[in-house]
Amino acid sequence: MPERVNYWGIPHEWGPPELYVYTIMFLAGFIMLFRFYKQASLWWKVGRPEPRWDKLHIRFWKFIQYAIVQTKVLNERYPGVMHVTIAWAYFIFFLGTALATIHDHFFEFLFGNALFAYKFVLDIFTVVFLVGAGMAIYRRYAQKPKRLTLDPGFTRSLVMVTVIVIGGLLTESFRLAVDQPAWAWSSPAGWIVAQLWIAIGASDTSLINWHLGIWTFHLLTVAGTIITLPVGTLLHGLTGPLNMFFAKLDRPTGELAPIPLTAAGDQVFASKLSDLTWKQLLDGDACTECGRCQDACPAYAAGTPLNPKELILSIRDALRADAAAVIGGNGDTPDSPTLVGDKIKEEVLWSCTTCGACVDVCPVLIEHVDTIVDMRRYLVMEGAIDAELQGALANLGRYGNSFGKSDRMRARWAKGVDPKIKDAGREPVDYLWFVGDYASYSPTLTEITQQTADVFQKADLDFGILYKGENHAGNDVRRVGEEGLFEMLVEKNLKALSRSDFKTIVTTDPHSYNALKHEYASNGNGEWHVLHYSQLLDQLIASGQIKFSKKLGYKVTYHDPCYLGRYNGIYDAPRRVIEATGCEIVEMPRNRDKGLCCGAGGGRIWMEEGEVTERPSESRIHEAVALNGVDIFVVACPKDITMYADAVKTTGQEENIVVKDLIELVHEAM
Amino acid sequence: MTHILVTAKLVPDLVEELEIAESGTALDMTWLRLIINEFDDHAIEQAIILKERSGCEVTVIAPDQEGMDDVLFTAAAKGADRIIKLVGDFEEGVNNHALARTLAASTKEIGPDLILTGVQGNDDFDGSVGPYLAEYLGMTYVGYVAGVTLEGDKAIVHKEYPGGLIAELEVTLPAVLGIQAAEQPPRYVAVSKVRQMMKEASIDEVDVLDLDPSGGLEISSMYLPEAAERAEMLDGDEEEIAARLVEIFKEIGVV
Ligand code: SF4
Ligand code: SF4
Repeated sequence: MPERVNYWGIPHEWGPPELYVYTIMFLAGFIMLFRFYKQASLWWKVGRPEPRWDKLHIRFWKFIQYAIVQTKVLNERYPGVMHVTIAWAYFIFFLGTALATIHDHFFEFLFGNALFAYKFVLDIFTVVFLVGAGMAIYRRYAQKPKRLTLDPGFTRSLVMVTVIVIGGLLTESFRLAVDQPAWAWSSPAGWIVAQLWIAIGASDTSLINWHLGIWTFHLLTVAGTIITLPVGTLLHGLTGPLNMFFAKLDRPTGELAPIPLTAAGDQVFASKLSDLTWKQLLDGDACTECGRCQDACPAYAAGTPLNPKELILSIRDALRADAAAVIGGNGDTPDSPTLVGDKIKEEVLWSCTTCGACVDVCPVLIEHVDTIVDMRRYLVMEGAIDAELQGALANLGRYGNSFGKSDRMRARWAKGVDPKIKDAGREPVDYLWFVGDYASYSPTLTEITQQTADVFQKADLDFGILYKGENHAGNDVRRVGEEGLFEMLVEKNLKALSRSDFKTIVTTDPHSYNALKHEYASNGNGEWHVLHYSQLLDQLIASGQIKFSKKLGYKVTYHDPCYLGRYNGIYDAPRRVIEATGCEIVEMPRNRDKGLCCGAGGGRIWMEEGEVTERPSESRIHEAVALNGVDIFVVACPKDITMYADAVKTTGQEENIVVKDLIELVHEAM
Repeated sequence: MTHILVTAKLVPDLVEELEIAESGTALDMTWLRLIINEFDDHAIEQAIILKERSGCEVTVIAPDQEGMDDVLFTAAAKGADRIIKLVGDFEEGVNNHALARTLAASTKEIGPDLILTGVQGNDDFDGSVGPYLAEYLGMTYVGYVAGVTLEGDKAIVHKEYPGGLIAELEVTLPAVLGIQAAEQPPRYVAVSKVRQMMKEASIDEVDVLDLDPSGGLEISSMYLPEAAERAEMLDGDEEEIAARLVEIFKEIGVV
């Protein structure tokens, strides 16, 4: 019966092999842990505390899902397969070694079929690994995608992990070539390599010598890799899973945290390393430099100074460079190293549209947007904002809208609507329509807003608006970093809302939708039931309250607004509405959660544009006109009408495509 | 340390449509929304810039009008050391003669080295505050100033003239300057900073017992501009137009 031979061919003259193998491994492990601790302790020595220990069962589940199964990594095919083959192979090797240890010292079970299976699986994963390593080599040295960091550190890691596996394979092959057991087939890869040694007629003595040499080398490379793990690019193998485990669970992506307070109750604005939490510092160390966020970032594609990957890496680099100084100086000396404005430039922070694409694609669940907003909050406190943004914020503070118009003009668009729209502040309604700034004040949107009212009225909806009681919902004010103004707007809106009697809030604006849904609940006592108009229309169509008299028959494409799609997962309702009007949807390549941001979010619409190569909205229009036969670009966000109508003009595509609001299709088909 | 006093006032916000009160001689205050006089905002900014540059002490003084507390706390959040509110009968609006007289009285007690004020305001029916204030205090006045540097007991000021001409003048302090524009646009103050100030800072109140508007204008009637086609365009060269103008003035009896 086949049995596991331990330390085959390893001379015992130097003492029992397990003694020095375990000594070397324990030493390596110890050094690794020590070095890792040194690095990791910086997170809490420099960073602020933040509780992330709650809901452990969900955290473990996240760990399994993202670190072991690696679902996010697999979202992209080539790099996904490449990474999981390497990672899974190592998980199996690790498991294999652990089982062998158990067999040797605690419980013997590796004989007979169990041993065959054991050997077979390990061997197959050797091949699996080699496939992944081959893909990695091809990607790194032939494909060379722009987003990758082509740094020698990565080459070293790739060489190390490959040499370890090849070392193991060779060791096995020498043993098989000497022993040539009947069950050699259970190690197919090793057996194939062994054929080579058999074929060249190598003598047993030289094979045993080679075995000893490669085995020792294998042992040392494993030890070396373990020792250098915390200081090399393989560190992500430890920090990545930790980052997933500690990912935020206390709030949805659409809800930002309030300004953090120190133990003494002072507000913290993130300008230095020590203003970030340990988790934000861990983010920096967890970044794998895969560059997926860079590829997904509309601001980066537009040629702005923002690259989310670089941003996160700046935190990492700053921690490595300045941690000692921060800890030495207790972190709070006036000349302690700064982060914002120095290592992370203001223009970088202001370029972000908070579209959330980076957060969505990051395989290790890094939380870019939260950190960006934290840093913006600091800039706002310093008054370091551009003149246009300053004007918009001043208007929002004074008039409750960014247009700088009187609050009495907010419902001016409703003047011609007959019958008059109810004032939800005065009489009870089923639906409170939160109109939002753009739909209320922008002259180009008046007609669309009136059509929305018309559709609601034709559907016999019992609805009202707040007239001058409504203020900007504050979503983007908060994302600009003006938390105080956000709170003020929320207070004003809550006051108006609490005076009104309604069941559901409906809004056409995804930004207002997001704030009302996620950020008012934590501020007010009431949990609102909030609907985006696409959801309401979908319901009204399903219930037969909206009936269509014709099929439009247009071929259209649909643009997913970030705060509707990525942030709130509403992808199907607007699509069902479009289809119900008798239109055919042709999807753009970047659709649903991969939808490209229009460039207006996060307060970008209020800021000076700065240098750009191609605006995100223009890139989007090009994407749409490239679709076969599509001549209508459907949007479900008032700002999108403004953004894309402009982009159609600046790209000179007026002949080829028109921008329409979802409601225009519904209105036309009724 | 140079002590700078900034005077500020609120003026009608032109975002709202203006309405005439029943009396027919004033704006209807019920519909009026007030906003800080833009030029006064620049004066505050200039004072803060000087404070940051030369370490001055800055006091802001303003009449009690609806919304003035916010403006004063905002000034404090920007860096003003002291904020003073003149409490009296300002709600219905006062003319600049009266305002300048009260300001002058308080100024004498405060004893600043330099007084900055907005060069004008959109409700200056009877001339702007600065020159009156200078007159009542017996100080030098320079208006249309865009840029101030302090040098000992002197201020080097940049005064703008129409046509883009800029003069650099040396003014011996104390003096009153009418600020046209600060060296940089008024800064943004985060709302939470202002709210913080509301908790931390306090507004000093100075009671104003009587307001003396004498010397100002008597408004006999106020009305919104009416759209009408009464304009007559005068053609010709300068001489001809001037001659025709004189003729018209004689015809309607203003000269
Ligand atoms: S949120 Fe969007 S714009 Fe901002 S860094 Fe991420 S991908 Fe770029
Ligand atoms: S932040 Fe995330 S997505 Fe971006 S490079 Fe790092 S690991 Fe990749």
